[in-house]
Amino acid sequence: MSLLEVHDLHASVNGEPILRNLSLRVETGEIHAIMGPNGSGKSTLANVLAGRPGYEVTAGQVSFNGAGLTGLEPEARAQAGLFLAFQYPVEIPGLSNMEFLKAAWDSHRAAQGAQPESAVSFMKRARALAKSLELNPEFLKRGVNEGFSGGEKKRNEILQLLLLEPKLAVLDETDSGLDIDALQTVAAGINRFCSADTGVLLITHYQRLLNHIVPDRVHVLSEGRIVASGDRHLAEKLEAEGYAWLSD
Amino acid sequence: MAALSSLEAPPWLGAEGLTRCRRALGGKLVRETWKYSPLPKVTDALIQTDVHQDPPVEALPPEAALHRFDELDAPPQFGIDLNRYPLAGIAAARAGTGWLIKVERTPSHPLRLAAPSLGVSAPVLLQVAPGCRVDIEQEAAEAASEGGLGAQVLVLSLGPDSEATCATAELASSVDRWSLLQVHLQRNAALTLNHQCTVGNFQRQDLNVALAGEGARLSSVGAALIQEGGRLDQQVVIEHASRGTVSRIKQHNLAAGRSRCTFNGRIHIHPGAAGADADLSNRNLALDSSAEVNTKPELEIYNDDVRCAHGATVGQLDAEVLFYLLSRGLGPQQAQRLLSLGFLRDGLAGPFAERAATAFAAHFMSA
Ligand SMILES: Nc1ncnc2c1ncn2[C@@H]1O[C@H](COP(=O)(O)OP(=O)(O)OP(=O)(O)O)[C@@H](O)[C@H]1O
Ligand SMILES: [Mg+2]
Repeated sequence: MSLLEVHDLHASVNGEPILRNLSLRVETGEIHAIMGPNGSGKSTLANVLAGRPGYEVTAGQVSFNGAGLTGLEPEARAQAGLFLAFQYPVEIPGLSNMEFLKAAWDSHRAAQGAQPESAVSFMKRARALAKSLELNPEFLKRGVNEGFSGGEKKRNEILQLLLLEPKLAVLDETDSGLDIDALQTVAAGINRFCSADTGVLLITHYQRLLNHIVPDRVHVLSEGRIVASGDRHLAEKLEAEGYAWLSD
Repeated sequence: MAALSSLEAPPWLGAEGLTRCRRALGGKLVRETWKYSPLPKVTDALIQTDVHQDPPVEALPPEAALHRFDELDAPPQFGIDLNRYPLAGIAAARAGTGWLIKVERTPSHPLRLAAPSLGVSAPVLLQVAPGCRVDIEQEAAEAASEGGLGAQVLVLSLGPDSEATCATAELASSVDRWSLLQVHLQRNAALTLNHQCTVGNFQRQDLNVALAGEGARLSSVGAALIQEGGRLDQQVVIEHASRGTVSRIKQHNLAAGRSRCTFNGRIHIHPGAAGADADLSNRNLALDSSAEVNTKPELEIYNDDVRCAHGATVGQLDAEVLFYLLSRGLGPQQAQRLLSLGFLRDGLAGPFAERAATAFAAHFMSA
């Protein structure tokens, strides 16, 4: 049983067909990179997987951990272990990061039939993780992403990834807008998440992230379909030659 | 039964002042500013309800002095525009007296003003001497019964280079309320206002700030939760009358259930107010599609050299933000609760912020 299995997926955004005939299989322990030009459908795929309203599966199947995904509400997908790191994380003034994270974690625990973790123990964990991502723990008291720089928002996404302990991470351009040091910190966070039980779908434009996180497979998306797949060397070729050769 | 015509004017109002109030009640300006609220009902209640003449402070700091109006040699100057606020004159006539608080030196602890939930309180005029700083706190008492009207007039007069903060909280309101806060700031005086309330019945809040002296500054942050069946009507008038005056207003109002929420923010920049800088933001969140929200920006600008921003929004919860929370495993109801609370908290500041946050949270827990 694969962790994620996408079979012949067609999906529309607000009635507009975007993804066509897309198939993909991610096993536990694997990292798959998704590359492709702007507007090729990478974020659409990520949002379809996460169940964003307005993103409709018109044909094909998606199964996660052996169960159908497409009928589930977004919160049920998250509770089942799917995590989406947003390309553009939202700001929520007035709701503190810590309160938000604790509520999210409580809902995960409740879905598994477990008691909530004590606030003290959770805060300790959150602070330690924040530090490991070189995010000032004071940020946990601020509103969710409120006034965070682009890089801080991305680090906050990885903080959530590590706190919520999902099975599959879909990371939508988590490397965009990071400086060189931040890129290393974030990559270390992602590597920390990777294990024999987890899988990663890594959406990126740049080979530089793949120097730190070595993908098992690289797929190229173009106009809503996968036009090439290969090992890590495909990413290097794209970096050197761009996307033009794919359409020849 | 008492009637408007049988009211007697106290010396500081004068018979002529009272006549002006009676006339203004039927005038165009008052009709316009009371478009969304029952003026006859409030006027009647104001005439019928009990009167409080007790001193408005329990523990007066030694740096301040308290005088009853009847004891003063000369009648105090309120500086209230009775054509716009005739109810203030009527409340003053009902109360029969009023209180003058003079802050001559900076008190070491906050000045706590009484706020009886029911009845007409004697008007309070608080004068802050030049260069002094005072913190004013006022928390409305919980009403012993449901129904009835509470009415209050507070006038702050800030001398040159003085500084005041004024925090008010009405978090357990089950009665109707009308209040006027009138502020006059002289040169370089600064006022910080924080107002938070839950509205279960009817509340009408008038705020009038005159930035009269050069460099006078106002900063106001407020949040209101209007509960099922509640009606809130906030009428704000800011006068920029001198050079370099600054105003910052942020008001977050959340209409839950069938309720009505009105915010009318008027910024008036006078010809002499070069370099004035005004920023007013009113955000409204309607949780229920049957909630009625009225928000009207009004700008009157008579000087070219000004910076003026006026934003008013009415909306539901942002779909993008909601999805972010759902994608983290939170259920839709809890997500809505957290976002509503966050929206209100974003309008909290000052000494009652914690208590207000707790009161707001309790509302969403029981909802
Ligand atoms: N809400 C929407 N309504 C209509 N079309 C949309 C919507 N969202 C995305 N699209 C379209 O879907 C296509 C794919 O967009 P998507 O965001 O998935 O691209 P992407 O590969 O993530 O691009 P980028 O590299 O710029 O992030 C684009 O043509 C885009 O304009
Ligand atoms: Mg994208």
